[in-house]
Amino acid sequence: MRRFLSTKGVIGGGIVVTMLLIALLAPVFVAEEMATRMDIRARLSGPTWTHPFGTDQLGRDLFFRVVLGAQTSVMIAGAAVLMSIVIGLPLGIISGYYGGTLDNVLMRLVDTLLSFPALLLALTISAVLGPNITNTIIAIGVAFTPYLARIIRGEALRVAQMPYVEGARAAGTTDFWIILRHILPNIMPAIIVQGTISLAFAILAEAGLSFLGLGTQPPNASWGLMIQASRDYLDVAPWTALVPGVAVAITVLGLNMFGDTLRDVLDPRTRA
Amino acid sequence: MLFLVNRLLSVFLTLLLISIITFAVTNILPGDVAMMIMGTQSNPEALAGLRESLGLNDPLFVQYARWIGGLLTGDWGTSLVFKEPIGPLIADKVVASALIVVMSMAIALSAAIPLGVWAAIHRDRWQDNAASASALVGVSLPDFFWGIMLILLFASVLGWLPSSGFVHPAEDFFGALRHAFLPSLALGLGLMAHLTRMTRATMVSILQQDFIRVARAKGLPERSVIWGYGLRNAIGPVVTVAGLQVGYLFGSIIVIESLFNFTGMGWLTYQALLNRDIPLIQSTVFVIAAVVMLTNLIVDLIYMVIDPRLRAT
Amino acid sequence: MNALVEIQNLRVTFGEGPDAVTAVQDVSLTVNPGETVCVVGESGSGKSVTSLSLMRLVEFGGGTIAGGRLMLQRADGPVDLAQVSPDKMRDIRGDEIGMIFQEPMTSLSPVFTIERQLTDGLKAHRNLSTSAARAKALELLKDVRIPEPERRLRQYPHELSGGMRQRVAIAIAMACEPRLLIADEPTTALDVTIQAEILALINRLKRERGMAVLFITHDMAVVAQIADRVVVMYRGNVVEQGPVAEIFADPQADYTRALLAAVPRLGEMRGKSAPEPLRAFGEVAEQTPQAPEQKIEPLLEVQRLTTYFPVRSGVFLRHVANIHAVEDVSFTLNKGQTLSLVGESGCGKSTCGRSILRLVEPTSGSVLLDRTDVLAAGPRDLRRMRRNMQMIFQDPFASLNPYMRLAAQVAEPLKNFGIATGSDVEDRVAGLFDRVGLPRDFMQRFPHELSGGQRQRIAIARALSVSPQLIVADEAVSALDVSVQAQVLNLMMELQADLGLSFLFISHDMAVVERVSHQVAVMYLGRIVEIGPRAAIFENPQHDYTKSLLRAVPIADPATPQLESELRFKPIPSPMHLRDHAPTPSVYETFEAGHLVLRN
Repeated sequence: MRRFLSTKGVIGGGIVVTMLLIALLAPVFVAEEMATRMDIRARLSGPTWTHPFGTDQLGRDLFFRVVLGAQTSVMIAGAAVLMSIVIGLPLGIISGYYGGTLDNVLMRLVDTLLSFPALLLALTISAVLGPNITNTIIAIGVAFTPYLARIIRGEALRVAQMPYVEGARAAGTTDFWIILRHILPNIMPAIIVQGTISLAFAILAEAGLSFLGLGTQPPNASWGLMIQASRDYLDVAPWTALVPGVAVAITVLGLNMFGDTLRDVLDPRTRA
Repeated sequence: MLFLVNRLLSVFLTLLLISIITFAVTNILPGDVAMMIMGTQSNPEALAGLRESLGLNDPLFVQYARWIGGLLTGDWGTSLVFKEPIGPLIADKVVASALIVVMSMAIALSAAIPLGVWAAIHRDRWQDNAASASALVGVSLPDFFWGIMLILLFASVLGWLPSSGFVHPAEDFFGALRHAFLPSLALGLGLMAHLTRMTRATMVSILQQDFIRVARAKGLPERSVIWGYGLRNAIGPVVTVAGLQVGYLFGSIIVIESLFNFTGMGWLTYQALLNRDIPLIQSTVFVIAAVVMLTNLIVDLIYMVIDPRLRAT
Repeated sequence: MNALVEIQNLRVTFGEGPDAVTAVQDVSLTVNPGETVCVVGESGSGKSVTSLSLMRLVEFGGGTIAGGRLMLQRADGPVDLAQVSPDKMRDIRGDEIGMIFQEPMTSLSPVFTIERQLTDGLKAHRNLSTSAARAKALELLKDVRIPEPERRLRQYPHELSGGMRQRVAIAIAMACEPRLLIADEPTTALDVTIQAEILALINRLKRERGMAVLFITHDMAVVAQIADRVVVMYRGNVVEQGPVAEIFADPQADYTRALLAAVPRLGEMRGKSAPEPLRAFGEVAEQTPQAPEQKIEPLLEVQRLTTYFPVRSGVFLRHVANIHAVEDVSFTLNKGQTLSLVGESGCGKSTCGRSILRLVEPTSGSVLLDRTDVLAAGPRDLRRMRRNMQMIFQDPFASLNPYMRLAAQVAEPLKNFGIATGSDVEDRVAGLFDRVGLPRDFMQRFPHELSGGQRQRIAIARALSVSPQLIVADEAVSALDVSVQAQVLNLMMELQADLGLSFLFISHDMAVVERVSHQVAVMYLGRIVEIGPRAAIFENPQHDYTKSLLRAVPIADPATPQLESELRFKPIPSPMHLRDHAPTPSVYETFEAGHLVLRN
């Protein structure tokens, strides 16, 4: 098991680091122009030396587009998850630590929000605000917040009932310091694990939104958009779907593997 | 009895909250219905007149009350895109979506439970590693990618199944199943992977429980220890998670139905969103959220049948 | 006489390759037909693994029987259980050997009826029809003295109390009339009165059926009461075995001697005026200097303290009922003394302690600490008062923040109250580590690097840091092994003598309470039913509940047998009442000076 675990952790971590590097360094090495230049003579070309991943219906190089797509995906997913943590963390901690009426009201609201499928909520918000990169971030971020808030609240509640928190209170520690010194460090592992898994879901959501035309808009490169564009040429050029599809799959797989490993390492309770 | 009254009251309260959230989200729009109907280039006076006649100048809570009153009395308004009454439009599409949601859940559960139990029994051995690794890949693929691959394989290469369209089961039952199969499979594969992971994790923890040890100490055959004592105790949590996934499915159908041109609720919602058909958006979003909430209620009730500890209350 | 079971040189490992851990190194023991053999040891001694190996259940938990023989005498001659096929072993399990476990709450499947769980073993081994199996199940339930057996068959485990579930577990193990019953800490999770009932039941079944019992326990008092022979284990090895009377009267191994010395025996404080330290493992028995004679002055005066927990239900969480956790409790704790609150689980003793510190808000009453009203204090005053009253919790694994260095945890109260700043903090913390007997290089460690006893010392150091007059110790030694328990108790008594501390000592363990207390209050259903000086409560109990509690406590002396008659104690009623319930006030009769008994 340990062997498999570490294999899983190494592969997952490797993928995550590679994707981050690609996303961060893409603008340095890949000029916008390289991904938008249309090679008219090589439209829907299969993998060749000049176009290692082939080209799309406009003759644009899929390798460069998928690299720039990584940047879009990682940036949107990262910002959206960050946003949901920034909103969900204080809500969850206050709800879980103080409890009472506030907790009841907040959690009733969160439970109701959970009745809205996350993708539906994100699509609706994006459609209503008008699809662009910022609004995609807001849409996914808002849609994920109730999940994060619920999980953080559960963790905060669990930790707040630990004897060491009661001990700190008995020792005259104020609520502010209890939250900072005792609650926060002890719920951090759960937040890190959940954040990683949410990142994977956010990448899928961004791809879904863009696939439906309600996320990233052309001419920006996005994996979801690329898959959308490939639909009409599936029979003649299946690689136009495979390249971005595999990119999404590998990234999400890496995040999930990394998240699983983190959970095993950080959280002994779920260690099966 | 008191429990039932409480439960119904809670359902009612949640529905009310759902309607408020739906209404609030659709009203942060910069444009409004009048603009949609007449276009952005229209005559401002005519626009103002239409606004007045549609009641868009009333305070928001009056508009909300009017909308909710319509929902309750069966007057759901008219779709701007389809130029049809929304009520019958939705009633028609719900059948299609119910078909693929049920089929995909059936596909997912029938494969995930045996696979998850099998992985748990062989925990940490190659069987478990293989099952867990495939499940991990399964949850990592976007379902529209599954959809495209299935279209490529079954429709384009093999030509066995139709890749597009919906047939009403009342007209042609087998035709309906044939048309629903690929979208259901596309939805079901990711779900199956997720439920396999969940079943495995639940079974692993159940198999460490004391009562499993007691069952073995009685000298029961492994078969009854695993499938009797083990799975019977794991099934509750698995069903609960499966129920929660209905929410996820109702998100995914928007993508999958559009991909397969399968004219259900997801497809309808997508059309409404693309065209900013606000009355239709409000109704579809409300219906989907309500269906998800009611499904979770049903799952809770099923759980009470499964777990005797909850029956007393 | 042919031994029923003969374990020879058993060796059990967990894991494979270089990571393998040896849980049992070399264990040999025999069980003769019809006798009770107790395997006793502290945590990590390998006693449970030994019993699981005999059932070959250890394999399901990742263990391997790496060596030795497990000989079982059968009708057709002896067989080595370590070598038989899994199928053959399955036939033997539950048929020739039955087993019961520690946790009655989790050892029955919550989704099956009692009938199904009682009969499926019978059906597997005896091929009984459903009706024949039901008849047999009914007979078994009667045999383990469960009231209303017909109704129980249709019930689910959650509808039964802990004691009743353990009776069902015993019935399951007895179903096929095994010749050997393995009982793995079967009473550890139970209250002392239930424990007495279960021990008496096992003893009767053994006598009536001529069955042998292999009894695993950590509790020397239980051993004294139930064993014919004793096997003492330590770190995977047998250190000593022999008849129970010899082991207690003349222990040979150093470990056994130390273990016995560390066990407080109910009744051994007879005629002594003040608490006395125990002879802890590895410590030279010495008399700690008696506390200088203090003037008897009250420190903590609790008057009519009452704490209810609201029960809410419905959509709007209407307040429908109350759990009466603490009901009209009054007592006085003197300076430099220990008052013990003793009772069974759910009697309200913990809530009482936490209400005094206002970790839960009491419903009514008054609490005076050094003549200042704790309950009337505002948030600011309350914080200041907490300097004077500190708490130590039961679970040493949960009472320290796993992500904070030990020095920082001990220093936290100092900083909170601005008692020390800068390098002064470090000096004081170092001093506190010295005081509780921990090396200073522990200061920069994290809790997981420490043992349970060491963690409890940290908890004590943290409580001492602000020099309080009162420490509430809530089951502070219950989770510790007996030798460690003795050390921590001795430390507390030493601190009391040196610093004049007062302890409110909350415990379920009568023998420990007798050892450490000046005053004792017995709690039942939220009320104090009897309170008085230690000698009065233990030597001259007046309330029926106190008497039954004392009768149920096993005494760590085989010469004082208790299990002759089968005991049956009244079940404790629910403390939950509807909102309009008006409880009667607690009225006491003075039996003699300072010894009060609740009038029923």
